[in-house]
Amino acid sequence: MAEKDKELLDNIDNEYKYGFTTDIETDTIARGLSEDVIRLISAKKEEPEWMLERRLKAFRHWQTMKLPTWAHLDIPEIDFQDIIYYAAPKQRKEGTMDDIDPELKRTFDKLGIPLEEQLSLAGFAVDAVMDSVSVKTTFRETLAEKGIIFCSISEAIREYPDLVKKYLGSVVPHTDNFYAALNAAVFSDGSFCYIPKGVRCPMELSTYFRINAEGTGQFERTLLVADEGAYVSYLEGCTAPRRDENQLHAAVVEIIVEKDAEVKYSTVQNWYPGDKDGKGGIYNFVTKRGLCREGAHLSWTQVETGSAITWKYPSCVLLGDNSVGEFYSVAMTNNYQQADTGTKMIHIGRNTRSRIVSKGISAGRSQNAYRGLVRVAKGADNARNYSQCDSLLIGDKCGAHTFPEIDSHNPTAVLEHEATTSKISEEQLFYCNQRGLSTEDAVGLIVNGYAREVIAKLPMEFAVEAQKLLAISLEGSVG
Amino acid sequence: MKLLDYLQSRGLRANTGMCTLGDGQAWEIIVNPRSVERTVRGRLSLIVVHNQEDAARMHFDLTAGASLNMIELFAADCAVECNIHQQAESDCRVVSVSVAGSTANYTIDLDGTQAANHMRAAYIAGGKEHTTVALRVNHNVSDCQSDSLVKGVAGGNAVGEFRGLVYVAQDAQRTDARQTNRNIEIGADAKIITKPQLEIYADDVKCSHGATVGQLDGDAIMYMRQRGLSLEQARRMQIEGFVSDIVLHAGEIGEILAEELTSKLERL
Amino acid sequence: MLSVKNLHASVGDKEILRGINLEVRPGEVHAIMGPNGSGKSTFASVLAGNEKFTVTSGSVEFMGQNLLDLSIEDRARMGLFLGFQYPVEIPGVTMANFMKMAVNEQRKFRGEDPLTAGEFLRLMREKSAVVELDSKLTSRAVNEGFSGGEKKKNEIFQMAMLDPKLAVLDETDSGLDIDALRIVATGVTKLHTSENATIVITHYQRLLDYIVPDYVHVLYKGQIIYSGDKSLALKLEKEGYDWLINQQEK
Repeated sequence: MAEKDKELLDNIDNEYKYGFTTDIETDTIARGLSEDVIRLISAKKEEPEWMLERRLKAFRHWQTMKLPTWAHLDIPEIDFQDIIYYAAPKQRKEGTMDDIDPELKRTFDKLGIPLEEQLSLAGFAVDAVMDSVSVKTTFRETLAEKGIIFCSISEAIREYPDLVKKYLGSVVPHTDNFYAALNAAVFSDGSFCYIPKGVRCPMELSTYFRINAEGTGQFERTLLVADEGAYVSYLEGCTAPRRDENQLHAAVVEIIVEKDAEVKYSTVQNWYPGDKDGKGGIYNFVTKRGLCREGAHLSWTQVETGSAITWKYPSCVLLGDNSVGEFYSVAMTNNYQQADTGTKMIHIGRNTRSRIVSKGISAGRSQNAYRGLVRVAKGADNARNYSQCDSLLIGDKCGAHTFPEIDSHNPTAVLEHEATTSKISEEQLFYCNQRGLSTEDAVGLIVNGYAREVIAKLPMEFAVEAQKLLAISLEGSVG
Repeated sequence: MKLLDYLQSRGLRANTGMCTLGDGQAWEIIVNPRSVERTVRGRLSLIVVHNQEDAARMHFDLTAGASLNMIELFAADCAVECNIHQQAESDCRVVSVSVAGSTANYTIDLDGTQAANHMRAAYIAGGKEHTTVALRVNHNVSDCQSDSLVKGVAGGNAVGEFRGLVYVAQDAQRTDARQTNRNIEIGADAKIITKPQLEIYADDVKCSHGATVGQLDGDAIMYMRQRGLSLEQARRMQIEGFVSDIVLHAGEIGEILAEELTSKLERL
Repeated sequence: MLSVKNLHASVGDKEILRGINLEVRPGEVHAIMGPNGSGKSTFASVLAGNEKFTVTSGSVEFMGQNLLDLSIEDRARMGLFLGFQYPVEIPGVTMANFMKMAVNEQRKFRGEDPLTAGEFLRLMREKSAVVELDSKLTSRAVNEGFSGGEKKKNEIFQMAMLDPKLAVLDETDSGLDIDALRIVATGVTKLHTSENATIVITHYQRLLDYIVPDYVHVLYKGQIIYSGDKSLALKLEKEGYDWLINQQEK
C-alpha cells in the first residue's frame, strides 16, 4: 500500500485543479433576498403553491433568527443582501444528452464526471448540479426498473409531491437553525432519492455539486428515503472555481432510514479553500441529519479538505430500537482554513448503538475543531457509544480543538470518549527520510496512514480520490 | 469518622488553625472560608472543608519551586471558585471530594515552565443534588505537565456534571496534559453530563482526554454475591473501589474521605 | 447433599439445560465433561443462581433446602462455591477487604462472631499457602492485573478461605500451564474431605490425573447422557465423544 501511496503522491498536481471557470451563458437574478426573490425562485422552478408557502414560512422565520456564534470560527460578516440566490446555466429543458450545452458537458468531463452513461464510472449513477439547477441525472431508467426514484429535488417536488410533502423538513425543520431556515426559504437544487421497500440499490448513487457563477450562493437540498429493509450507498462531491470573493454554500441534507434499512452517505468535500493568504474560498454551512427507525443503520463518512470555513455536523437521531449510527470523519485544514465539524448522536430508542471516529489534521495557520454531542434519552435503555477523536498538528501556527459533550439520562448507558492530540514525530520523519522519502512525501504518507481508518469506509474510487486530496491539501505545510 | 471530627480530635479549635497529623506534618486547616488569597513559597499542606451553604473564592499563587498539597472536602451545597497560578517548577496536588450538591470551579494557570499540576476529584451525588466539577487547565508556557482524574457517581434524581478544558497556548510547546473523567450512573433518574474539551495552539504536545459513562458491573456484582456478599454490599464495595484511587492520593486523610463517601452512599 | 432432578433452564427463548439429574453425596468428586456448548458452564451458573438464566422446570435440593428459592449470596453462605471460568476484575476493591467481608458474612449467616483483624490475617496467611499464592496479591485489587494462572489460583485460595460444602469448579484448568495446573489441582485435593464434595467441569482428562473423580458424567445437549467411573474420562480422551453421541442419537 505504501508504494501505491507514494505513486499517488508523485502523480498529483499540486494546485487546486478544479479552480477553472466555465464560460457559459447563465440566467441569474438580481442580488438580494426578499419575499419577491423567493416567489421568483419558486416560479422559475415551476413549483406548486404549497412549496412556495413553505418557503415563505421559512423565510419569515429566518428573519427572526440570529447568526449562531457558538462555533470556534472567526466568520467575517456576511451580507445576505449581496448574494445572488439563483443562477442557472442556460439550456433547454433537462432531458436527453443532446439537449445539454456542450460547454457544460466539457465542464463535467473535466471534473471527471462524464454525463454520458456509457462513459461513466462503472456502477455509479450521477446527479450533476451546477449552481442552482440539476443539469443531468444518469441511469434513471435503469434505477426505475427497481422502483428507485433518483432525480433532482426540483423535479421531485413536481413529480412526487406526496413523498416530498411527507419527508421534506421532517428531520431538519426550517426552525432548526439559522442556515437551515435560510436554506428552506431559498434552496435551489439537490438530489432526491427514494428506495422502495426491500430494494437493495444496485448502483452507487452520487451527486456532484459545482458552483460556477460569480457572486452566487448555492443552497443544496437533498432528501434521501430508504424504505423498510432497503439499502443504498450515496456519495457527494463538490468543487468550485478559484475566486477572490467568498461564496456561500448553505446545504440541508435529510435522510430517513425506515425500519431495518441501511444508508451509507459519503462526502468528499473539496470546495475552493481560498488561497495561501486566506483570500477567497467557500463558506460551507451545512446541516445534515438522518432519522433511524427500528433496526435501521445510518453511516456518515466525510473527507473534508476544502472550504475556507466549514460548519457541519452530520447527525443521527436513533429513534427506533436497535438502530445504529456511525460517523467517520477526516477534516484537513491548511493555510487560513477553519473547520468546526463533528456529529450528534441522539439515542432515543432502546439498544441503540453509535460510533464516532474523527481525525482532524491542522496545518499552516488553520483552526480545526471537532464538536460532538452524544445524548442518551431517558428511555434509551442499553445505549452504547464509542467515540475516538484524534488531532494531528503540522506546524506551530495552527490549532486543534476537541469539544465533545456527553449527556446521559439513562443509567444503563455505556459511553466512552477518547481523544488525543499529537504531531508527526521527528523519529517517524527521520525513518522515512532515511529510506529515501522527501519530508513532504513522508508527511503525506503518514497523514494518509493516520486517516486510513476513515478513508477505508469510502467506496474504492472515492478512497483514491480522497487520498490525493489530502496530499494536495498538505501542499506547502511542510517547511 | 467525619473529617471535621477527626481534625478536632487532632486539636483543631477554631475555623482556622494548624494540626499535626499522623504523618508528623503540620497541616493548615481552613473551615468554611469566604475568601482565601495566598502566596505560597516553599511548601504548604492545606485542608479546606466547606461545611455550609455559601460561596467562596480562593486564590493561590505558587512562586517558583513552591509546592501546594491541598485536600478539599465539600460537605455542603456551596459554590467555590479556586484559581491556582503556578510559577516555574512549582508543584500542585489537589484531592477534592464532594458529598453534597456543590459546584467546584478550578482554574489552573501554569505560568512558569516545568510546573506540574495533579488533580484528583471524586463526588457522589444523590437526591436532587446537582454536583459540578469544572476544571480549566491553562498551559500558558512550555514544558508543563498536568494530569487530572475526576470520578463521579450519580444516583437518585441527581445530576453529575464535569466541564473540563485543557488549553495549550501557542508557545506552550512540549506540554504534557491528560484529563480523564469517569462516571457511574446508578439511579434510573440520574443524569451525567460531561464535556472534556481540548483547545490546542501548539504542535509539540502530548494531550489526551477521555470520558466514560457507565454503570455498575453486573458480572462483578454476581461474582461478589457468589462469595456471600449481599447485593447492597456488592454494589457499595464496587463504588468504593471506583473512587478509591482518588482518595488514595490523600494519604492518611484518604481513609476519612473514603468514610465520608461511604456514608454518603448509605444515604443514597 | 445435592440432588438435581429434571432441571431445565433457558436463556431468553433458548433452552440450554433439558432435564439434568444428578446426585452428589458428601465425600464425592464428580467430573462433568462434554463437547463445547453442551451446557456445562450453564449448569454451574444455574446452581450458583446467575440471573441470566431462567429455570423453567425441575428441582434442586442442597443441604436439605430448595436451592432454587435462595438468593445468590445465601447459596454461597450455605456453602456452595463456584470457581469461575473467567474470574471477574473488580477495580479498586482489595482482595483483603473483599475476603474479609465474604468470610464474615458467612460467619454471620451461621450465627458466629466476625473474625478480628488478627484472626483474619492469620487465616489469609494460612490459606494462601494452600495454592502458593503470592501474598502480595492479597493487597491488590480483586483479579485486577492478575495473570491467567494467578486468577485461577486466587479462585482456589478463596475456596480455601470459605471452606465450602460443595465446590463447583468451572473449567478451572483452562488457560493454565502445567505447573499452575498442578498447584491448583493439588490445592483442590488438599481441601477435599469426607464432609465436602466437588464437581469439576472440564474439557480435559489431564486435570483428572490430579483430582481423581468418583464419577464421570457426559453432558450433551443439556442432558447427562452417560455416567461412569474415572476410566470413562480416559476413554473419552482417546476416542472423543462421537461414539457416545452416535449411541445417543440412535
